[in-house]
Amino acid sequence: MNGLDAPILPTPVAWGLLIAFSILWVALGWWLGRHNRSAEDHMLAGRNVGMALATATAMATWVTANTTMTAPQLALQLGVWGMLGYSLGALGLILFAPLARRIRELMPRGFTSGDFIRLRYGTFTWRVFLVVSLIYAFGWLVSMAMAGGVLINALAGIDYRVGMTVILTVCVVYTLLGGLRAVIGTDFIQTVIIIAGAAFIAWLTIDRVGFEAIHFNLMEERPELLNLLFPAAIMFLFNNLLFGVGEIFHSNVWWSRAFAFGRNVGFRAYLLGGLLWLPIPIVAGFIALATPALGINVPAADMVGPLVAAEVLGLTGAIVVFIVVFAALASSLDSLLAATSDLVTRDIYRGHIRPQASEQNQFRATKVIVVLLGLLTWLAASYRGELPIIGSLAELLYFTGAFVASAIWPIVAGLYWRRANPRGAAWSMILGSGIGLASYFLIGFYVAALVGAAVSLAVMVLSTWLAPRPFDWDRLARDDVQPKGSPA
Amino acid sequence: MYPLRCVLLLLVLGLPLAAHAGPAFDATPERSTDGGFALSWEADGAVALEQASGPDHADARIIYTGHDASTVISGLPDGEYRFRLRASDADDWSDTATVRVEHHSLARAFGFFVLGGGVFLVLIVAILRGRPRG
Repeated sequence: MNGLDAPILPTPVAWGLLIAFSILWVALGWWLGRHNRSAEDHMLAGRNVGMALATATAMATWVTANTTMTAPQLALQLGVWGMLGYSLGALGLILFAPLARRIRELMPRGFTSGDFIRLRYGTFTWRVFLVVSLIYAFGWLVSMAMAGGVLINALAGIDYRVGMTVILTVCVVYTLLGGLRAVIGTDFIQTVIIIAGAAFIAWLTIDRVGFEAIHFNLMEERPELLNLLFPAAIMFLFNNLLFGVGEIFHSNVWWSRAFAFGRNVGFRAYLLGGLLWLPIPIVAGFIALATPALGINVPAADMVGPLVAAEVLGLTGAIVVFIVVFAALASSLDSLLAATSDLVTRDIYRGHIRPQASEQNQFRATKVIVVLLGLLTWLAASYRGELPIIGSLAELLYFTGAFVASAIWPIVAGLYWRRANPRGAAWSMILGSGIGLASYFLIGFYVAALVGAAVSLAVMVLSTWLAPRPFDWDRLARDDVQPKGSPA
Repeated sequence: MYPLRCVLLLLVLGLPLAAHAGPAFDATPERSTDGGFALSWEADGAVALEQASGPDHADARIIYTGHDASTVISGLPDGEYRFRLRASDADDWSDTATVRVEHHSLARAFGFFVLGGGVFLVLIVAILRGRPRG
């Protein structure tokens, strides 16, 4: 049985790939962002991104470390349903399509998801939302930095901290240089690499191992993975769907794109991006089911994807996996760094610290915040396996599930229900997150988002029914660049 | 003479300890509700990891041999599973780690499934019924 004691990718080859792609992404970042002159250029790429780039960035950003590394982990832990359940995350993108259109109509000059919550619900709900959103963004950033380190460690035996540091540094540098324009431009190239690489790996795995051997060995050693009545996996199905919906509906990663895409582009781009994304987790997750057939030892659940691919496909496969996952990681890490720094700049720095900050001040603040976020992420990811919720990728990711799923209803009600109650929106996030977290610890990671979303829905419906607060939608268009709700 | 006595004393006390310094499990979980868990261990070299489902180890099989210091087990049905370790070049087994797998009941699983399905349906209806601006 093989394991980490026999890494497939020779260290010099791994370093060569790492350096070559690092130079490529940083050079592209500089080139794509060389005309950025203002915060609006840097944050929203001039608000005129076309259909091809918009679809590519929607799809590539959603193909994350979590898709390429956590989907195999979930297939290993929750079997067939884990893999299929993960692909339901596509519904988050698809359902965001009509929301993107509505966001662009309601707030043609908006910058962040925080802007919307502040104008729609007021300061208290805005602050609750910022806490929820930043906890999620930070969890996602750390999980992706961890994935980078795990990938390099699993394939090449390079120390986890070294690999994690290199990947994080590269993403910080090119996001710093190019802003959203660089992020979207590199996403396009990374999408092509991801689709071609994933198809190649799936074809080779089926060709070399075969369905029959996979099925036989699973039935012998890990039969529950094929059981369609696997209880934890059944509980996980809608949990993952709602987690994906929560991630996309609330996160500034997707809102900033809705603001940046040209008129009438958002709906089609998110719809097409979701449909293109749907098969990726199935392809990525499937290979983990070959683990017993191949006799591979999996030392940590989040290592299974790269370990199996490298074992099945040899040196060529290891190189392809390395490039695909590096592209997937970079395309998401840069997006999240850019969108989170925008949120912190607009909603914390300008909203709470310096309301009179000029355009140039914000431009500079965005760059400082990207560096600070990178440093904080590095610090937290250094403690992988040493702190309870930073145990593995899936554990960390689903810990944030309770927070994001509880934000679904404040967003949906805020966009579509004229009488949604602002206090109800805040309490739906507070109670949804709290009870969702309790279920994470009392029942399992596979129910936290589901419970958070259900509690949040109940609070939102009840508060709006008992104490309706009519809202004038035109206020969003009138006020969307003025921080009137800010405490200053 | 005093240092020599100390060295001899250390050798006498240390030899039995060295003889029993085989691989040993770190803290292991006692119970799993999803049929999966991780096992980790301390060892100086390659180990053999054995899995069995009965106290007499009658159906025991080696599930890993190598230098890794942990493994992820998953997909096990309800039951009690026993694991033990030995150095790959030795015959002495470590203490046995026992993990009880007890899956959630199907009633609980479908309860969450129905709850999730309900929330999802309400979401679809809310978005489809959402009125355009104006």
